[in-house]
Amino acid sequence: MKFDINYTFDALPRLLEGASVTLQVALLGFLFSVTLGTTIVLIRNILNWRILNGIIAIYVSFIRGTPIMIQIFLIYYVLPVTGLNLGAFTAGILAITLNSAAFVSEILRGGLASVAKGQFEAAKSLGISGFAFWGKIILPQTFIVSIPPLVNEFTQVLKATALLSIITVVELLRVSQQIYSANYHPVEVLLGTFLIYFALCFAVSRSASLLEAHWQIKRG
Amino acid sequence: MNSAGKKTDSFLTLKGIRTTFGTTVALDNVDFEVKEGEVVCLIGPSGCGKSTLLRTANWLTPPDKGSVILNGSVVGSAPSGRINRTEARKLNSFRSEMGMVFQQFNVWPHLNALENVVRAQLVVAKRSKELAEKKAVQILIDVGLEDKLFEWPDNLSGGQKQRLAIARSLAMDPVVMLLDEPTSALDPELVAEVLDVLKRLTDEGMTMIIVTHELGFAFQVADRVAFMESGKIIEDGSPNVILKNPKTDRLRLFLDKLNTTAFAPS
Amino acid sequence: MSIDFSIFIEYLPFLLVGFWLTIKIVAGALLLGLPFGLVLALGRKSNFFIPRFAATSFIEIFRNTPFIIQVFLFYYVLPFYGIRFPAEYVGTVALAAFGSAYFAEVIRGGIDAVPKGQLESAKAIGMSDWQAMQNIILPQTLPIILPPLTNQTLSLLKESAILSTITVQELTMSGIRVQGETFRPFEVFIMVAILYWALNETIATFMRWLEKRANRERGSNLHATRLKKAKRLETLT
Repeated sequence: MKFDINYTFDALPRLLEGASVTLQVALLGFLFSVTLGTTIVLIRNILNWRILNGIIAIYVSFIRGTPIMIQIFLIYYVLPVTGLNLGAFTAGILAITLNSAAFVSEILRGGLASVAKGQFEAAKSLGISGFAFWGKIILPQTFIVSIPPLVNEFTQVLKATALLSIITVVELLRVSQQIYSANYHPVEVLLGTFLIYFALCFAVSRSASLLEAHWQIKRG
Repeated sequence: MNSAGKKTDSFLTLKGIRTTFGTTVALDNVDFEVKEGEVVCLIGPSGCGKSTLLRTANWLTPPDKGSVILNGSVVGSAPSGRINRTEARKLNSFRSEMGMVFQQFNVWPHLNALENVVRAQLVVAKRSKELAEKKAVQILIDVGLEDKLFEWPDNLSGGQKQRLAIARSLAMDPVVMLLDEPTSALDPELVAEVLDVLKRLTDEGMTMIIVTHELGFAFQVADRVAFMESGKIIEDGSPNVILKNPKTDRLRLFLDKLNTTAFAPS
Repeated sequence: MSIDFSIFIEYLPFLLVGFWLTIKIVAGALLLGLPFGLVLALGRKSNFFIPRFAATSFIEIFRNTPFIIQVFLFYYVLPFYGIRFPAEYVGTVALAAFGSAYFAEVIRGGIDAVPKGQLESAKAIGMSDWQAMQNIILPQTLPIILPPLTNQTLSLLKESAILSTITVQELTMSGIRVQGETFRPFEVFIMVAILYWALNETIATFMRWLEKRANRERGSNLHATRLKKAKRLETLT
């Protein structure tokens, strides 16, 4: 079969619809994962209970030591057996959230470490403690410092959504599979898919560097 | 290697050198010559271009305009387009004959002292391992590092590292040595050991260009001292004149700032 | 939910066969991807436009797209040109290409971390760019790049699971097949997960041990080396 670029263009409208699902999944998943990741960091630092810390350590080690695909399978195939029937979309977001949250918590851990220790002492001497302390002083700084690796993590999430096609979530890759299984032109269709993913990830990381540069100037 | 002892009038010529970094003019149409066996010290306030001029000599910092001629052959000429492979090879060959010593030593930390002195001999001069090692040992003994042959550079003092750097350059049988503030990064008590090695080199007739703040040393060993400011050579003459009877006010100001009671009267 | 422990015993050998293929594929991807990553890194730093543009494009493309799409493209494009390779080879090449883009950035970071004066002294003594790289710069990047390279390798191990989508009979695919037979996803995928996780931890721990050893060696070990040095000294002087 000769390569015909028209197949790429013809597929584009449906692909873009799939891309919007991809974005939805990625944004939702990332939002939840940052929330969960932040919670983990707070639990580690405020409560500091050995049992919880142990569970968190195992959880992080498991996530970082196993393929995302296996994590997706575990959630999608195993949860129904325990009685919890979530559906592909929810299961997918859950898997992505759990996966990304582990990495986010490690990123924030690093960011936290680089927030000057003096901040803790200064706040204590001023009598600020508890939630105000974390919410107004420490966390904002932690996040600002962690922006580059967090942006990188978001692109990882974007790329990971493609794996949800395996559990039938109708995001970009799944849509393209539907298209080329009908027209038998996988290369042209995949090329379009490929370019859309590239555009998304590239745009995210480039705009992040621009933002970072802009902020540096503002703060400096 | 050294050409058959032919004494051309100027051994190393830098002609019409103009170098800019962005909008800053680092060297403003500078002409500079060194005769064979001459020792010239470059002095001047920071930013005056003396280091840049030194690095022009071996084309490490190519100028925008001008040329460098070593013993009758052109080392580099600007402006020129991208140099091809043969030209690059010729430049590397020239550089191996021009030993350069840096303020920050730049010894290679992943090789021990002996290997530092041997490596370029093997890779650039393509000598045999036996010859290279023999020569390296001899030179290391000459600079006083005979008991540090297998030492890692990290375990050497600043003075020892600089002497190692000098040995590394000497192993290539250079015809001219270019030294960029060789003692400026050293603790005061380590300066003398390096200056002693350099002094011996000058006694042996090595052609040297030394950028330095050590005016006492310059007075002792230099045949000529050149004072630079703002990318130009302001005064150039014998140490007696330059350092004790400066002609220009700018040089006088510079010497006053350096508090020139540092060197011994003749 | 009850756990059927007999599944573990009965199907572990089968999974181990797939596991072994996973290991071979990752090793192959390293063998191909590391050297090519070096080429890309040097190309990225080239003074000539074409190599620099080509290397940068390759790196950006492979880093900004999902691996699963790269795999599919490799899988579907080759037959286009009449080339039919076994899926494992296609998978290994795809994994190597993916890995090389990340390796390249790690190596480039290492090269940039070496102080500028090192390159200058190498060039000033007459070394060509490549001689300077080979003798002076690249050796100094090794301790710097070893940890991130290890991380990247572990990442490749995890990404290799995606090769199951093009019928490569590696560990994940083996797990899928067992699950298709037994309909016990928990037991099967937990086994698979533990196998990946165990290999991951082993490699990570080994690298941490290596790092500690490398940092210790420079200072200590003096006595043995001193004897060796004294002997060499005699032959030279």
